[in-house]
Amino acid sequence: MKPVFILPVLTMGLLTGCVTTQTPSASSQIFAMDTVMSLEVYGDGAQAALDNAVSTIYHLEDLWDVTEEDSEVSAINQSQGQPVPISPETATLLDQSKGLSQLTDGALDLTAYFAVSAWGFTTGDYRVPSQSELDALKTQIDYTQLSLNLEEQTATLPDGMRLDFGSVAKGDLGAILSEQLQNQGITSALLYLGGNVQTIGSKPDGSLWRVGIQDPSDPEQAALGVVEVSQKAVVTSGSYQRYFEENGETYWHILDPETAAPARSGLTSVTVIGENGTICDGLSTALFVMGLEDGISFWKQHPELDLDIIWVEESGNVTITSGLETTFQLTEAQSDREVTVIAP
Amino acid sequence: MNRTTKLVVILLLVVAAVCSLYIFRASTQTSAQQLQIYQHGTLIQTIDLAHVQEAYTIELKGENGAYNTISIESGRVCISHASCPDQVCVHQGWISDSTLPIVCLPNEVILEITGGGADLDTIAG
Repeated sequence: MKPVFILPVLTMGLLTGCVTTQTPSASSQIFAMDTVMSLEVYGDGAQAALDNAVSTIYHLEDLWDVTEEDSEVSAINQSQGQPVPISPETATLLDQSKGLSQLTDGALDLTAYFAVSAWGFTTGDYRVPSQSELDALKTQIDYTQLSLNLEEQTATLPDGMRLDFGSVAKGDLGAILSEQLQNQGITSALLYLGGNVQTIGSKPDGSLWRVGIQDPSDPEQAALGVVEVSQKAVVTSGSYQRYFEENGETYWHILDPETAAPARSGLTSVTVIGENGTICDGLSTALFVMGLEDGISFWKQHPELDLDIIWVEESGNVTITSGLETTFQLTEAQSDREVTVIAP
Repeated sequence: MNRTTKLVVILLLVVAAVCSLYIFRASTQTSAQQLQIYQHGTLIQTIDLAHVQEAYTIELKGENGAYNTISIESGRVCISHASCPDQVCVHQGWISDSTLPIVCLPNEVILEITGGGADLDTIAG
């Protein structure tokens, strides 16, 4: 009879014995760039890589904080048309942003800072500027007036214009951290940078990261859908992210450079998924400004960018590009929404 | 084997199967919900949310009279009152999983839950 008594123990051992070895990991939550950031890094050397990432974040915050007197962006803003020396990070960011402005015919424009602050989005003292004020403000938005000298590492901005990196800073931070972490041998990490998501590789167990997409009509509750990604940035621009109401009208922080007023394109959010965080961040803003139809044409005209996009309209309808057909799905509670798939 | 021996063997096999299943399920289930409370980037308290017997509140004091009142119940948490101007943290309501932490940006407070079986790694938006 003895073997019989061993059996239960053996069976239990077999079924519970498949314990995976724990991957080393390090994580951190920090407040930077006026938002909250959460970093999870996996693999050997995770802690050292994480510490370096945190220093990089604070370093770039110092360079790019428009409200800090001694930041690089403030130096450019106060230069009164004189060339200002800039760091390689700022030069790259400005160069890439100008490229995206050209690509989107000005739908992304970093020189909108005067307008952004006139609406109170920089301070929280919200107000609706008059039409004549807006007419004046929109003449002060023109990315072509910003000139860069990449050899001498200088930027020149005419007096009467002001830069703000808000629409690209977090995305570019994701791109910089992604490269930095990979250079340190990290093959798995998840960076949440104030709403922007940057993934490095896949999860430690090899499966894809599951990234929720916020529901613009109820952003604080359950997600609208889930997208599964690896080695990608996922960036959303939505009218729900920063807004105020006055006399029954809602005004949000994504401004149309042509009107200096909130972009009313019929969209409530645009999510861009791609390898490069800077491109995803800048284009999520530009595509929000463009609206659905122009956005779809833009995506069709630029297959070289290798992007996938999720548009959410005020009606609640969702449009996705064909690459997401298998990797995006609505959450159960949202399954009655209409989803349209766009082919190239 | 006589009848009794057979019965014992079968009985033991059933017990083994049930035991294994129970242990297997327990080991694959996500661990109980742990609430982590951060203030100014420092972890100041960890609470086992799954084993909260009676609801209670924690008063978190900050600089210049800043405060957040944290309401704790079995399996969920929210910020019920706060001194911050935007009240974003209060409006978020209850959370019970790791999908979206509650963040009070002005007072630099984060409530984050680990475990609890959310099927998302993070959320973009």
